[in-house]
Amino acid sequence: MKFNSWFVSSFLISLIVLIPVITVFASFFEATSNYYEILKNTFLIEYIFNSLTLLLSVLLLTFIIGTGAAYLVSFYEFPGSNFFKWALILSFAVPPYIYAYSLTAFFENYGTAFTILKNLFGEANYNKNIPKFDGMFGAILSISLSLYAYVYILARASFLYQSQNLIDLGKNLGFSRFKSFFKVILPAARPAIVAGLSLVAMETLAEFGAVDFFSINTLTTGIYNSWIYFDDLAFANRVSFFLLLFIFSLFILENLSRRRAKYHFNSKGGFKQKEKIKLFGIDAYLAFGFCFFIFFISFLFPLSQMLYWTIKFPENLFDLKITNLILNTLYLVLLSSLVLIIFSLISNYGNRVSNNKILNFLSTLSISGYAIPGVILAIAFITFIAWFDDSIVKSFGFSSIKKIFIGSVFGLVLVYFIRFYSLAFNGIKSGYEKMNISVDESAYLLGYSKRKTFTNIHIPFLRNSLLFIIILISLEIIRELPITLILRPFNFETFATTAYISASEDLLEAAAVPSLFLILIASLFIIVTSKYILRENHE
Amino acid sequence: MRRNGERMKKVTIFAIITSLFVSTFSIANEVNVFNARHYKADSELYSKFTNLTGIKVNLINGKSGALEKRIISEGADTSADLYITADAGRCGAMDAKGTLQGGLTSPAIKAAVPKTFRTSKWVGIAKRARIIYYSPERVTGAELSGMTYEGLADPKWKGRLVIRKSSNIYNKSLVASLIKNNGKAATAAWAEGVVANMARTPTGNDRAQIMAVAAGEADIAVANTYYLALMLSGKKGAEQQEAAKKVKAFFPNQNDRGTHMNVSCAALVKGAPNKTNAVKLVEFLLTPQSQEHFTNNTFEFPMIDGVSPSPLVVNNLGLDFKQDMKTKLDSYGKNQAAAVEVMTAAGWK
Repeated sequence: MKFNSWFVSSFLISLIVLIPVITVFASFFEATSNYYEILKNTFLIEYIFNSLTLLLSVLLLTFIIGTGAAYLVSFYEFPGSNFFKWALILSFAVPPYIYAYSLTAFFENYGTAFTILKNLFGEANYNKNIPKFDGMFGAILSISLSLYAYVYILARASFLYQSQNLIDLGKNLGFSRFKSFFKVILPAARPAIVAGLSLVAMETLAEFGAVDFFSINTLTTGIYNSWIYFDDLAFANRVSFFLLLFIFSLFILENLSRRRAKYHFNSKGGFKQKEKIKLFGIDAYLAFGFCFFIFFISFLFPLSQMLYWTIKFPENLFDLKITNLILNTLYLVLLSSLVLIIFSLISNYGNRVSNNKILNFLSTLSISGYAIPGVILAIAFITFIAWFDDSIVKSFGFSSIKKIFIGSVFGLVLVYFIRFYSLAFNGIKSGYEKMNISVDESAYLLGYSKRKTFTNIHIPFLRNSLLFIIILISLEIIRELPITLILRPFNFETFATTAYISASEDLLEAAAVPSLFLILIASLFIIVTSKYILRENHE
Repeated sequence: MRRNGERMKKVTIFAIITSLFVSTFSIANEVNVFNARHYKADSELYSKFTNLTGIKVNLINGKSGALEKRIISEGADTSADLYITADAGRCGAMDAKGTLQGGLTSPAIKAAVPKTFRTSKWVGIAKRARIIYYSPERVTGAELSGMTYEGLADPKWKGRLVIRKSSNIYNKSLVASLIKNNGKAATAAWAEGVVANMARTPTGNDRAQIMAVAAGEADIAVANTYYLALMLSGKKGAEQQEAAKKVKAFFPNQNDRGTHMNVSCAALVKGAPNKTNAVKLVEFLLTPQSQEHFTNNTFEFPMIDGVSPSPLVVNNLGLDFKQDMKTKLDSYGKNQAAAVEVMTAAGWK
């Protein structure tokens, strides 16, 4: 076992990321409050039931939409197929909570749908004929239509990689188009689809904004409520236990599928570029119709609703300090990407050169930060800092360090780091996996130092992975809500927090302006980088 | 040239990282507000305060629960001076947790706010009533005559009532006041009656309840006073303005204790670094000028005498109603847990 500086630094990074997980479990043994013992089990069953309903429905929807769309754009040529190829990722720009605002705005009594019907057909009470997309159903739609892009991107990457040989195989066996999709194409892409679905699953379980907006009690909002309103840590922990159980099983599933994915992607030789099938007539219309429908409801619909409200209530536009918000968002994005990239590089490299079992285990565990909902993470962080300050820092006679961590950009970026570390770490890890360890050995033989190997050989090799990671992190941070809400400094707002705060005060039309800007900025970002989002995965 | 560029890059990175650690520790003339009340009108008031006194108002906006947790965790080192939120039950609950301190006892405050609406640790800054809205087409005057909150459980309203979820703080405070007046057992039976009368599973905010009556989904709704005025003001668009005209307001319990009142409250946080400034801000919020600003923008009732509510409130809701001045507002916080228990047991979603 070698204890060099690389080892120590990667060890420390993993430890920092593990802090919230440790805090949640450490408080397991704290005294419980008097919060009506009898009702708790009823609550718990409700939370589990709701989380399961939400999870399974979202998985089903994202699977159908994500793989369906990916299949169409990867195998066929139809009007707009080249456009939809990247346009379908745009739904990423609409976070579930903004989708939830749009749904409510459009379908509520006397909402936008009512206005449209009134303008078309004259005065009448249309409210009874307008479907209400709220509650559980609204939450399922909001989350699915925002997250299907995970499945879409990964499934598409995998489909693109499928060799023409595979398709010919189906044909030679005399399979119909449908049969060969289910018997050949889908099974071959399974690892990628499962990986996409497990990302969706984690985000769904961690989802706070939309679920809170529709006041649905899931495990995550249940933990939040019992912790925040009833100070019932013991119950919060019991709920957390179930949540983590869910998440760790997903985690294992995801890791397993990843291992298989590697196996699959390495099929060297015999790769034959596939020819896209050109669709005609009704088939072409159907393919176009499906993609357009998805693009419309997932992106154009929320965008237009927010745009409509911004125009209808223009006074809200002038109340917003837009430059300020853009600068704050950029500041957080730059700082967090930088910190995440630097430290994930260090820990990955540390893992590579020390090849230590404990370290490997620790870094695998530390990835779990991504699985812990942002709300829980933020509260656990505050709890930890308060404990650390009161019982350790002050007992040594130092002055309080709380202000350095709570309500500061530093603390905010630190918790972003914990939450998104796994995105960065895994991204770099998969980049490194493509790079044989013999490369390092040759470098050492040539007289390169470890540092020089790192800066001159690894970094250039990892460039594309790094770019992709920065894109992902930036998108996550632009949309991030609960952590920013709880930990940000005085007088510091982002588009997400501004939108959320207006919405929580029943000022949905005021929430429209920041929501619109958030969608536009994220879309711009996606459009500019779509080349990388779509490329990286089939490297 | 390239080398230079790289060095510049390193310097920039270093500068960004160090800038992280440097926060503003300077002692300034300021007051820090943890704000769970997010009306645009409020921030306009804070700017006025700054112009008048030179005291800068630092805001952290957020949901009450998270803000409370942060105040509690920061403990003696808290940066919060004032906690402002839209429900007396919350201020009461914060007091019960020992996170507030006395000090809002200046003559100006005592003179402005009636005793029912303040303690030494928190003070009401604007009032609202939680009332009944009804459809004049489907509800007769006889049905409503002498109507009380207690009467919401009457089987004659079966399938005709909408009210929001039990997790809503306004409902918690209303039910807490019923527990204070009628006892827990009677309120538990009442909650079951209310649930049996619901026209739908609770969903949406207060405004959505009013619109459900306008749209014909229900005949009566429970919601706060300012929502109807907000809809009538046209700030929510022409459709909602029309919808608001289809419902009427009714003030319950006029023949006994009066209509359930609640306040937006400002609480003085224990360990507040700028206590004097905090008291000054509260006093400012209670001046006629600020109170008028509240009534005209958020459509709440003024806390002090001598200021009239917005004409939209006066003309459409009426002014001559009996407010419940008997039930002390600190009971909302004290009975909050019991209220949640009673509602949950009744199956109030």
